[in-house]
Amino acid sequence: MKKLILALFISLAFLLSFTPNLLAEEGVTDTEIHLGQWGPQTGPAAAWGNVARGTGGYFQWINDNGGIHGRKIVYHMFDDGYNPAKTKAGVKELQEGTGIFAWACGVGTSTGLAVRDYLAEKNVPWVGPAAGSMHWVNPPMKNLFAVYPLYVGEAKALVKYAIEKMGKKRIAIAYLNDEYGKNGLRGALAELKTHGMEAVAEVSMETKDSDLKPHVMLLRKAKPDLVLMWTTVGHSAKIVGISKAMQFAPQFMSTSTTSDFPFMMHITQGLWEGVITATLAELPDSGHALLNKYKKEVFDKYAAKEERWGVFYYAGIAFTEPMIEALKNCGRDLTRERFIAEMEKIKGFKGIGPEVSYKPFDKNDMYSRQGASQTFLVQCLAEGKFKQLTDWMDLK
Amino acid sequence: MIDFIQMIVSGIAVGSSYALMGLAMVIIYKTSQVPNFAQGEMALISSFFAMMLLTTFNTPILLAFFLAFVFAILLGCFLEFAILRRAKDPNILGMIVITIGIEMVILGLVSWKFGADQKIMPFPIGPYDSFIIGNIFITKLEVLTLVTALLLMIILFLFFKYSKLGLAVKATQQNSVAAQIVGIRTNRILMMTWGISSLVGAVAGLLISPTIMHPYMMWDPMLKGFAAAVMGGMTSLPGAVIAAYMLGIIEHLFGGYISIEFKSVVAFVIIVLVLCIKPSGLFSRHYIKKV
Repeated sequence: MKKLILALFISLAFLLSFTPNLLAEEGVTDTEIHLGQWGPQTGPAAAWGNVARGTGGYFQWINDNGGIHGRKIVYHMFDDGYNPAKTKAGVKELQEGTGIFAWACGVGTSTGLAVRDYLAEKNVPWVGPAAGSMHWVNPPMKNLFAVYPLYVGEAKALVKYAIEKMGKKRIAIAYLNDEYGKNGLRGALAELKTHGMEAVAEVSMETKDSDLKPHVMLLRKAKPDLVLMWTTVGHSAKIVGISKAMQFAPQFMSTSTTSDFPFMMHITQGLWEGVITATLAELPDSGHALLNKYKKEVFDKYAAKEERWGVFYYAGIAFTEPMIEALKNCGRDLTRERFIAEMEKIKGFKGIGPEVSYKPFDKNDMYSRQGASQTFLVQCLAEGKFKQLTDWMDLK
Repeated sequence: MIDFIQMIVSGIAVGSSYALMGLAMVIIYKTSQVPNFAQGEMALISSFFAMMLLTTFNTPILLAFFLAFVFAILLGCFLEFAILRRAKDPNILGMIVITIGIEMVILGLVSWKFGADQKIMPFPIGPYDSFIIGNIFITKLEVLTLVTALLLMIILFLFFKYSKLGLAVKATQQNSVAAQIVGIRTNRILMMTWGISSLVGAVAGLLISPTIMHPYMMWDPMLKGFAAAVMGGMTSLPGAVIAAYMLGIIEHLFGGYISIEFKSVVAFVIIVLVLCIKPSGLFSRHYIKKV
């Protein structure tokens, strides 16, 4: 009888010990908020791996400054190698094993697409995918809040500038044969159409292509005066390099994913000079007060010694600033419903990136979930310096 | 016409790096009948070793490359001695799996030690410095790779055909028991071929690294080198080289005139076709044992 009472007591104690967690939101405890992110630390897109590391430094800084209403952020970051199969496996493992309250950033369109529907089904919030894809907001989803300006809009802005300000007449497009590349292609073709023009060449490439001479030869054959590139960092560097070797010298333009000019100058050994790109956050040498603060208090304190302060690193902060704002506004009562409601209340938020605004969910309005629609264009100067060509432009 | 000639020239240029990797694979296959899938990563780690000497220790470039070649030879010998030789009751499939395991370990090691970001290999020739003849261009680095590949092929061909060691390699390949009976230390021969193969791979790695240098840089050349080796018959050194140049040219012509989207898979379509039509490869002689 004594044994039975003891067993009952232990069972009750065991059950009670779980009660607070059973009642709480997944990924939230009295002292912790579990947030996740995937990011390519290896593989063909490793150059964008510092986005996830930037977020990590930002979260550490928040924790060391008291956390969010007494809770510390527990950051779960994993390397997916820019491989959608690995992204899906890693997200499912963390979501169903550890229990993640919300996901932040995540580099890549194809990788994000691999988990978009899974997260939507579970209504797990996902804020600031680190890619400007239409797939995040068309159709909009209740749990998904985009921050990155749309690639389609970026491509339109670049082509518009090329035609109207630079007088370019023969535009060729080199793009990666995946959703990232095709988003850029669609935007560029749409803008060309509004000017009654067509691309003189559309050349696609695969992530694993390492010999790009045939691609550049096709571009050269079309005799363009401007080549727009929507490819990986490595591919873009090679296209510019091979073009130089071929004495093929059009104006090059590229997406914001290649706007880390010091890095691009380094890997092209100076050939990136003159390239024009869109960008997604304030410039490193702009003297922006908040950016300088992050440099001093986040990067200088938490970044690994081989880390470099650049656009990709602080993009990891820019994409998560609205998320932190909403978490703060939730107070102690943190549930996913409350968090989504607070995200929807964000209006005209300005951190180090473009202005961010959301609306209550409307399945017919993609701008209820596309927070930022601004970019500005920059040109790479010697030593990787930036020349700002435009102010922030509205992409809607 | 200019485009056609340019495609042929570019095809030959890219074929040179495939040829070096193909040669490296054939050398090991000739003695052990094992396709070495760690070949690319062995070249990778040797290239990163050279970069480390150049950038961290400021070693003079010729000395750094020499030390990288010594490192490559020792690495090849070590892998054969410490890992492959220890395999219990080895069969071909088991050995292949071991080489895949080695490949993953080396890749992980390089990623961990050097990071996944793209690096710059200090090299006396810029990756995009080129010769322009008429409207045809070829980079200086490609010319160097072409000359190196042809020279290495000739040296290796002469070595295997006329030197005592080369004959010992051939004997080991054809009948290792008989080779042992006549006094050839077949284990040492195997170890030596791994060392030579690793050295040839390292040459390829060092010539590729000025253009692209990150932990995955050898994947494509290794796969295409393997494709060339298979096309050439896996045991023929000139066969692997000729097939590599054919592959480079076909890829470029296919990309230029038929489909740029499917350019990267054309190599593997060719392998399938070759294996269907002439399973022994285009250039190898197979000995049929009569019972």
